[in-house]
Amino acid sequence: MSTVTIRPLLPSYRRANLNFRDRTNILLKPNYINYSIKSAPNARRFCSFKKLQKITVSSSTSTSTSPATSTDTTPVRPGDVFFKETFPLKRTHAVEGKMFVRLQKGKDEKNWQLSVGCNIPGKWILHWGVSFVGDNGSEWDQPPKKMRPPGSVSIKDYAIETPLKKLAEGDVFDQVNIDFDTRSDIAAINFVLKDEETGAWYQHRGRDFKVPLVDYLQHDGNVIGTKSTFGLWPGALGQLSKMILKADTSQSGIQDSSSESCELKQENKHLEGFYEELPIVKEIIIENTVSVSVRKCPETAKTLLNLETDLTGDVVVHWGVCRDDSKNWEIPAEPYPPETIVFKNKALRTLLQPKEGGKGCSRLFTVDEEFAGFLFVLKLNENTWLKCMENDFYIPLTSSSCLPAESVQEMLIPGKAEEATQEVSQTAYTAGIIKEIRNLVSDFSSDISRKTKSKEAQKSILLEIEKLAAEAYSIFRTTAPTFFEEAAVELEESKPPAKISPGTGTGFEILCQGFNWESHKSGRWYMELKEKATELSSLGFSVIWLPPPTESVSPEGYMPRDLYNLSSRYGNIDELKDVVNKFHDVGMKILGDVVLNHRCAHYQNQNGVWNIFGGRLNWDDRAVVADDPHFQGRGNKSSGDNFHAAPNIDHSQDFVRKDIKEWLCWLRNEIGYDGWRLDFVRGFWGGYVKDYLEATEPYFAVGEYWDSLSYTYGEMDHNQDAHRQRIIDWINAASGTAGAFDVTTKGILHSALDRCEYWRLSDEKGKPPGVVGWWPSRAVTFIENHDTGSTQGHWRFPGGREMQGYAYILTHPGTPSVFYDHIFSHYRQEIEALLSVRKRNKIHCRSRVEIVKAERDVYAAIIDEKVAMKLGPGHYEPPSGSQNWSFVTEGRDYKVWEAA
Amino acid sequence: MEVSLMGNSQANVVKTGLPYRDSRVCCSYKNKIDDKVLFVNRVSFLGQNRSANLRKAQLRFCTKASVQSQPLPSDRDSGPLSSARPKSLDAVRLFVGLPLDTVSDANTVNHAKAIAAGLKALKLLGVEGVELPVWWGVAEKEAMGKYNWSGYLAVAEMVEKIGLKLHVSLCFHALKQPKIPLPDWVSQIGESQSSIFYTDQSGQQFKGCLSLAVDDLPVLDGKTPIQVYQEFCESFKSSFKPFMGTTITGISMGLGPDGELRYPSHHRLAKSSKIPGVGEFQCCDRNMLNLLQQHAEANGNPLWGLRGPHDAPSYDESPNSNSFFKDNGGSWESPYGDFFLSWYSSQLISHGNCLLSLASSTFGETGVSIYGKIPLIHSWYKTRSHPSELTAGLYNTAKRDGYAAVAEMFAKNSCKMILPGMDLSDEHQPRESFSSPESLLAQIRTACNKHGVEVSGQNSSVTGAPGGFEQMKKNLFGENVVDLFTYQRMGAYFFSPEHFPSFTKFVRNLNQLELHGDDLPVEEEVTESVHTNANTNIQVQAA
Repeated sequence: MSTVTIRPLLPSYRRANLNFRDRTNILLKPNYINYSIKSAPNARRFCSFKKLQKITVSSSTSTSTSPATSTDTTPVRPGDVFFKETFPLKRTHAVEGKMFVRLQKGKDEKNWQLSVGCNIPGKWILHWGVSFVGDNGSEWDQPPKKMRPPGSVSIKDYAIETPLKKLAEGDVFDQVNIDFDTRSDIAAINFVLKDEETGAWYQHRGRDFKVPLVDYLQHDGNVIGTKSTFGLWPGALGQLSKMILKADTSQSGIQDSSSESCELKQENKHLEGFYEELPIVKEIIIENTVSVSVRKCPETAKTLLNLETDLTGDVVVHWGVCRDDSKNWEIPAEPYPPETIVFKNKALRTLLQPKEGGKGCSRLFTVDEEFAGFLFVLKLNENTWLKCMENDFYIPLTSSSCLPAESVQEMLIPGKAEEATQEVSQTAYTAGIIKEIRNLVSDFSSDISRKTKSKEAQKSILLEIEKLAAEAYSIFRTTAPTFFEEAAVELEESKPPAKISPGTGTGFEILCQGFNWESHKSGRWYMELKEKATELSSLGFSVIWLPPPTESVSPEGYMPRDLYNLSSRYGNIDELKDVVNKFHDVGMKILGDVVLNHRCAHYQNQNGVWNIFGGRLNWDDRAVVADDPHFQGRGNKSSGDNFHAAPNIDHSQDFVRKDIKEWLCWLRNEIGYDGWRLDFVRGFWGGYVKDYLEATEPYFAVGEYWDSLSYTYGEMDHNQDAHRQRIIDWINAASGTAGAFDVTTKGILHSALDRCEYWRLSDEKGKPPGVVGWWPSRAVTFIENHDTGSTQGHWRFPGGREMQGYAYILTHPGTPSVFYDHIFSHYRQEIEALLSVRKRNKIHCRSRVEIVKAERDVYAAIIDEKVAMKLGPGHYEPPSGSQNWSFVTEGRDYKVWEAA
Repeated sequence: MEVSLMGNSQANVVKTGLPYRDSRVCCSYKNKIDDKVLFVNRVSFLGQNRSANLRKAQLRFCTKASVQSQPLPSDRDSGPLSSARPKSLDAVRLFVGLPLDTVSDANTVNHAKAIAAGLKALKLLGVEGVELPVWWGVAEKEAMGKYNWSGYLAVAEMVEKIGLKLHVSLCFHALKQPKIPLPDWVSQIGESQSSIFYTDQSGQQFKGCLSLAVDDLPVLDGKTPIQVYQEFCESFKSSFKPFMGTTITGISMGLGPDGELRYPSHHRLAKSSKIPGVGEFQCCDRNMLNLLQQHAEANGNPLWGLRGPHDAPSYDESPNSNSFFKDNGGSWESPYGDFFLSWYSSQLISHGNCLLSLASSTFGETGVSIYGKIPLIHSWYKTRSHPSELTAGLYNTAKRDGYAAVAEMFAKNSCKMILPGMDLSDEHQPRESFSSPESLLAQIRTACNKHGVEVSGQNSSVTGAPGGFEQMKKNLFGENVVDLFTYQRMGAYFFSPEHFPSFTKFVRNLNQLELHGDDLPVEEEVTESVHTNANTNIQVQAA
């Protein structure tokens, strides 16, 4: 019995997260007919404002965009430049194409073939799995080995990823062919299409594609290619088009078909081929910039405005001037720049001149001093206009019109300049909105019948407030990331290190992750682990993280169902208590792996959706968040990200929180857990975690907040402040009652070690670049866990580099966590040596680290003036000054010394 | 000067009665779950597929917001509606504090873009104005009499442009986080002349503000601090003349550490300690001891003037760790104790009097209201000796009302009193601290009522006290009349998804509570639903 309807999104979700920040949007969903934004030039994006600067920098490989370069290319004397600004130009380019799904007979009646193809260029991956006859839910399983096309990679134990390829030179479609035997007990093939470049997932009407090979599976609404032998079914294309027409009623359509499907149970396997094409839209955001600098020409008393952009091709500036703030367009007197035409007596159109080398184009404009502003928009072709926040670009031509005199100097500093002018245009923009709203409001007051219009007004106010708040938040957040750094350090230095603070231990903890992805297989993991307790303790571990203890739909335990049923594939409740006691006996603390974000249901609701719970916590659908359509929850909208494979719990419900607190307390008292490892905390607000932790007062707690690092053009950014800030934000939302896994550090280690880029291990302030550099006492450092490594390998640490990773985390501040697989491997002795260095030198989570070297091929640091270490092939020896250093241990590309 | 937004907007509400009422009726049917959706939802008053109920609820909010942001004449007697209403139902003038480091020490505006966006959001929400801390250490940083107001003027312009009001806090103290020091030249003087700072029993100095003992001593290159403060105010007045009484509606005069009328008696508290200690008397700098000596001699007890109490506990100790504050038979009840405490507190009051009268006379005719802030030192309030208040200079015990004299001093100078801690509730204080913010607040308000001093509120906790919004609402309605309320403080947390929705809800609730007096037919139901909101709000906030 299964409650999972679209299980495959489990890996997809996590992996998609890794690409979360990519700049490309998804758009498939062919059923959304109204989803037709083809091009949104310069769409207004509040939260990305602060990134603008970064974008400029990142694209500086294409030379002309950065303000510094532009200064060089034009004869602008810096003293005269009073306005200089680089505007981002963002537009969305939609690539339309199609995908096809074809089912056809192979070499004989028994061997059939399913093909999926897509004609948009890119790296497409088919993420797929099968359902077997007799499966009730829509859980996926891994297809039999022989079905897997070459190049397939297995994802956990229920899905396969196969890249789409062109079968022959000149093929329009990339495709994948899956051959299968109709005599197998496979009931359906399920898949989603994934764009590896953007991380976007393309589903069918919001759900996985499903190609039924047996008829009674047709109870889902997302069936594709249904058989036409049944009169009841209109056939695949018919059904699809119907769904398009009746997009709003699709929900009831599904229900109908599911009730019908009950009557269709008996059917032989008589397949019919089909071929279907679906439209698919991939959105690519194209970012360019335009730089404008203005100076006075003292000889001619004219204003010289230089405009440059990295756009290529024929870029036309559609421009005019204005005399005051009202921004009324006017055409100045001649002469005009070359290649200028007058457009309908309202504006001038000047073609920009390509720059040498072909990277972008520019033009110098001369304007009489009497004008106060220069207005323009950029035109790429008849349909593509680039504007500034949906307004015309406005460049003030007098130094006094925009800024107090003091700031003029600062305008020369790129970045600052951006801020200031942004503000100018912003002010204009919002002032406009406020004005508009006022107008609408007065309409509202004077004329009741014009309700609809006032609704719009109200909406726009709310939207505006919300956007403004989001904008303010993003800037405040990014301009003040150092708060934690300083505040935390100050706070922590005043604390005696041995003090136990709730949730974060003594600071000397060393964690052992006591299981891997396969541990459930023996059925007696608790007992196996128990035998290793003494050994783990003597190695120097002080905390063990046990696997999730509850009954679970998946054997590994991360799909819990009855929270109070502690019989799992790892053992029963008595064995659990036994192993907990054993670890307590050897002086270790125990972390329980608790899954609070989601819970699998026991029963279906009246619509057949699994969202009614059983067991001691027999919640109904009010406990399920409302914003995941798969589970039809009646709770509130999720306070975090959704995990799509199971009903997400609505933690805003008092009864839910009360029950969870009780359960956690029960685990504390009944089993003896000392603390928690909190699964998928991205799924709900950190404030709830605080609530739970305060209620259960754990000795130690750590949350799994895993999202993607920042990459530019496939290369990891040096600065991962935004990434660690998100983790810090979570910790802060939980009021620091729990630490978090330092995903940032792991990611940076990946790049640094794998690519020999050890400079990455120091941030701009010479501190560790991960969470550990900002809030060491809350950072739980790790290099691998059951998801990233083990047999899943979602984000595996670079092979052969593991010991360098451990040399880093075991000598550095933060609380290190060592993965079970590594302890019981050939690395064991090296890990043991590092553990003893850490213990002997009393390195703790708040130890001071001084980075001595962070160069291409070597990183070196001295920790608490007691331990020196280096990573990388480059040379480093600790200084032979006041301290004597003695070598302790080394391995491939790492070496550690102690102060004598 | 009070701007009666509500009065006007209600006039509109009457005009548009029909749709408005409809939506409110619908809200009252809303079930609890919907209420919460609205709250928990981080960015989303505008979800696409929400229930019909909810959409109406959104509407209601919208209506409020839009009505509020109309351009309205700033005229308190705008109509019979507003003037007829009892004062307690009048609009609470809500201000929001700008970041403490809004203006950097280089006189540039920090996070200008964020502040600009924030100001617009607040304006649209219907907030009355913002509070701007103006630092001595920024504006008169380099040399005495050399003022640079450019950063602050830029902010004032921004605020004026948006159409918000401005409340200015003149800060003559320093701040640790973010770091805002005293003026460089003052710090330099302090290095050679450390007696300008407060000193505790163990000789430790507090360099966050000048000791009140030097108020009238020419320690600053021949000028007294009072003269320097006065010139600072004069310069401010002339520089901000165009804004005075129009955009700038209020000015708070900094009176001591954190701007509050107190001694820095708790400045060395360990942050990790949950229970605050009693603090220390700050009377051991040379000038304070001189004053004490004179006072003792005048009272015929010269020996009492040699030093402060010898049996007072130190900063983070509890009252009973030494004999001065013992509940029964502690020295505080002895004649010596009364002598010392009377002197210690009267020094503070005369310091406050001096600064407030200075402010009143300087800004008197500009049309702005003058405010002073007093601290809410609520720990140990439930003991008889109130040790924390005593060390801070507020001679308030079980036997003596220490706030009457303070309120009287405010009344004398026609100043309004800023009271912080309006978000603190008794139940969330650690029991062992014998704390009672609510009773203390009530006591101070009583004193103010008696002397006709208007009270203006503030919240204390920057990151949200548990149940803070509920407590603030309690403190703003019913018997509790406030002149205005300043919510602290704009910044990343303020706009974060964890906080901003509850703040908007708070604003909305404030407005709703005001409204119901005019909207009788559905009033009961609506009030009910508002309370439900409020409860939900609190639980989530506390979580």
